[in-house]
Amino acid sequence: MATVTLSTLRIASVQHPRLESALAERAGVISELDDIDELVRLHQARIRRFVTCSTGDPDLAETITQDTLLRAYKGRESFRGDCSLSTWLTGIAINVTRDHMRSGRYKFWKHLKASAVDVHEMASFLPSEAVSPERRVLAKERIKEVYVVLESLSYNQRTIFLMKFSEEMSVDEISEILGMAVNTVRTHLHRALKAVRSRLGAKI
Amino acid sequence: MTPESTNHLSEEALDDVLIGLGSAESHAHLAECAECRAQVKTFRGDVALFNASSLAWSRSRMPRHRASERSRVRLHAASMGWAVTAAALVAMALGIWHHHPAKATRQANTVQTQPSDSEAQIAQDNQLMQAVNAAISPDEASPIEEYKMLESPHLPPKAHSKKRMK
Repeated sequence: MATVTLSTLRIASVQHPRLESALAERAGVISELDDIDELVRLHQARIRRFVTCSTGDPDLAETITQDTLLRAYKGRESFRGDCSLSTWLTGIAINVTRDHMRSGRYKFWKHLKASAVDVHEMASFLPSEAVSPERRVLAKERIKEVYVVLESLSYNQRTIFLMKFSEEMSVDEISEILGMAVNTVRTHLHRALKAVRSRLGAKI
Repeated sequence: MTPESTNHLSEEALDDVLIGLGSAESHAHLAECAECRAQVKTFRGDVALFNASSLAWSRSRMPRHRASERSRVRLHAASMGWAVTAAALVAMALGIWHHHPAKATRQANTVQTQPSDSEAQIAQDNQLMQAVNAAISPDEASPIEEYKMLESPHLPPKAHSKKRMK
């Protein structure tokens, strides 16, 4: 698909007034991408969460998150607008993660197991809805169970599960970003869901 | 998609609903079956809890990250300080090491570059020295001439001493 630029959108919007909203949306995204501080403020936490849960390594996730945002900022001209900005950023994060995993440094640190997620700490960040002590304890346990079962999945199953249920991406988007057939994505999702539901169901 | 034996959604059908690819039949079943609906609700609730807490956890990492960044900056500054000190020491050591050979080289260069004295200059210097000697002691006989040492050069020094003592 050809790269959509502001000028082409402006010309098109003169001919087709319906594209005015697309132009405004596109301009908003471009301004968001042009401001690195805004990019970090809006997307850093979400990318860090995704990469941390995907790799299980908070320190590595920090590096990957920064690399992702930097790469997005440097390559902002290549954003075509055919998906949401968060989906585009998640795709970059996955590519950066792959690059890191291929490197010898990742293997070295993984071998040392220098950094791991403190699931108790993560579970303590409960939403305000869980107010009563009983509900808080129960909610914490459920959060820990989800994280523990995600850890037990393969990298592909875990990443695809997170893309679907945390990043709220469609199966088609996941398929395109990972370069995987839709049926393969569905198979990974089914296996991940089976593991998660059986684990959570057993704890009910 | 609804097994006759249980009258509930199969695992696969339930997963398809959760993935967002549920069939119309599955959705129709869910509208009527409280048990299957509860399963969907429980799963979505757990995932929502996980998403909310993990995102809040990630947001909380920001200040810590900044603190660690400050620590990294301090560590970097300390490392730079050590590096500068080490570089200064190395430079000093190299300077000292280079100092002596350089001096020797300079000296050697100085000797080599000095013009050699000409024969005329040497003769002039000798004449000057002889004139100075003559001016200091013009009438005094030299001890060498007095004892005619130059006339008996093979005389042993000891015999000459005994002769003088007599």
